[in-house]
Amino acid sequence: MATQDISSSPLSPYVAEFKRFVSDTWLGYAMVLPAVIMLGAIIVYPTLRGIQLAFFEVSLLNPEQMTFVGLSNFGQMLSDATFKSALWHTVLLTAVAVSLQYLLGLGLALALKEKVPGAGFFRSASMITWVLPGIVMVIIFRFLVQPDFGPANIVLAKLGLETTYWFGRPGVAFPLIVVMHVWRNVPFYAIALMAAMKSIPETQYEAARLDGAGPLQAFRYITLPQISYVSMIMIVLHVIFTFNNFDIVYLSTGGGPLGNTEVMSTYIYKQAFEQYALGYGASMALVMLIIMMAFTVVYVRLEARD
Amino acid sequence: MATDSSTHSSSDRSLIQRFDAWLSDDMSPRRLVGVYAVLSLYFAFLLLPVGYMLLVTFTSQEFLYSPQLIPSLGDLTVENYLTVLQTGAFQGYFVNSVVIAVSTTTLTLVVGTLAAYSLSRFEFPGRQSILLSFLATQMLPLVLILIPFFLLMFSLNLIDSYLGIVIAHSVGGIPLGTWLLKGYFDDIPTSLDEAAKMDGCSRLDILWRIIVPLSLPGIAVAGFYTFILSWNDYLLVSILSQTAATRTLPFGLQLFQSQNTVAWELLLTAATITIVPVVVLFAFVQSYIVEGLASGGMKGM
Repeated sequence: MATQDISSSPLSPYVAEFKRFVSDTWLGYAMVLPAVIMLGAIIVYPTLRGIQLAFFEVSLLNPEQMTFVGLSNFGQMLSDATFKSALWHTVLLTAVAVSLQYLLGLGLALALKEKVPGAGFFRSASMITWVLPGIVMVIIFRFLVQPDFGPANIVLAKLGLETTYWFGRPGVAFPLIVVMHVWRNVPFYAIALMAAMKSIPETQYEAARLDGAGPLQAFRYITLPQISYVSMIMIVLHVIFTFNNFDIVYLSTGGGPLGNTEVMSTYIYKQAFEQYALGYGASMALVMLIIMMAFTVVYVRLEARD
Repeated sequence: MATDSSTHSSSDRSLIQRFDAWLSDDMSPRRLVGVYAVLSLYFAFLLLPVGYMLLVTFTSQEFLYSPQLIPSLGDLTVENYLTVLQTGAFQGYFVNSVVIAVSTTTLTLVVGTLAAYSLSRFEFPGRQSILLSFLATQMLPLVLILIPFFLLMFSLNLIDSYLGIVIAHSVGGIPLGTWLLKGYFDDIPTSLDEAAKMDGCSRLDILWRIIVPLSLPGIAVAGFYTFILSWNDYLLVSILSQTAATRTLPFGLQLFQSQNTVAWELLLTAATITIVPVVVLFAFVQSYIVEGLASGGMKGM
């Protein structure tokens, strides 16, 4: 306030501040604009169009011709057995794969955290499965279970057990899909959880030991509470990724054998790009979006916490 | 420990002592064995499939199709690599992959750095919503976007062009890249910005001369994620690429398989070559990635 009396015009500091604010804000918008435009055009606009398509009947062969059909696409789902089983498989796959990934990731994190010779190598080598292209992972697993010359079947034959192309066996194909999800993501959980564990001060464990706590109690009362935030993020994120995942199933079994591994994303892809039923595909994708919305809200809340 | 090593010769003792010093105080031999046992089990599960693929690619076709697990020395050969690397179409796909992944990474880093700087250092209405909506785009089901996305690219005449694929991949990488870079930018004290401003630096000078050099690890990690996102992508390329001119390696691997027959020795070799750039790049940035994950959340993810 004192400056007001000294300066020639009482408002000039505020004018200068206002100018600075406007130019700063302008520059701020300008710099974020390219990203916003690209995301708006390639993600937000197609999403809104996709939601719109869900209420129309459209063929991929003639996408200009759209017929408004109201909620009839959603009605069609109720009587579509493949849709129901795809939805069930997606939920089951997500629940089983994410639980296994978390538990196995936690185990690996506990081992990686230990200060043993070679720990650095183990830590860096473990992420390899996570950076591989999905198609390469699928090729590896399909090779492993080839009849006659696939390593898994060679071992089974030596043990005198049944051999077959296991991706083609109902009842085995689905567990194999789970195994691939686990194989791919366990290291990622492990590294994130290990990092969270390492940030816990060693003094807390020493204090617990002095108070007579065993390793299990230390894990339960010191480690678990302090990795819960990272755990939540990992779980919510992978629920979303697994639920939406397309390539692992599409490239390995294509949804077979006999629809045993059909998930939402592969069924939608087939409806839209093989049956040309864009509207019906979009309406099922909208169902996926709605189901995932809850998890997204939780995730965004977690990230926005700081 | 001391009583153990006293029974050994002096050179042995120094080795054991060195090993001992390496271990932390509370690491008992029993615990050590336990840790190695657990790690071995995990790594057998995680690395054996990849390791076995690598082994098979260096063996003859006869061995691959035989019911044997372990090759003899006579089975070893580099013939598969020569065949794959001399396949013209494969070379073309490799070049496409490199061009598309490098362009995607460059575009994403430029757009992402600008956006991250803006979101980290500027105050403007809507800042927080932009940040959170970037995050939310990562959660949308790709199959929902895919249908209108295809129609959009078709009407923009971007089907079967490098540009179309680069834009599609960049859009996939920008939200994560921006979020990640913002995390690194936030860690740089704003007092540095203020000091530079005193010296007459503009906002863009500050970005280019202070923020970017100090966030090189973050830029490396963001660049790596974008690169593998583009390099590994199958779905978008399978939709946007109609001819061999724009086909990338993951989609191009079908070159070695037809409806009924798969040339496994060539397919596995081509798959191995496909992962080499990813693994090499990963080796360079893995320490930053592990470090970034330590701070939790999206930073380093």
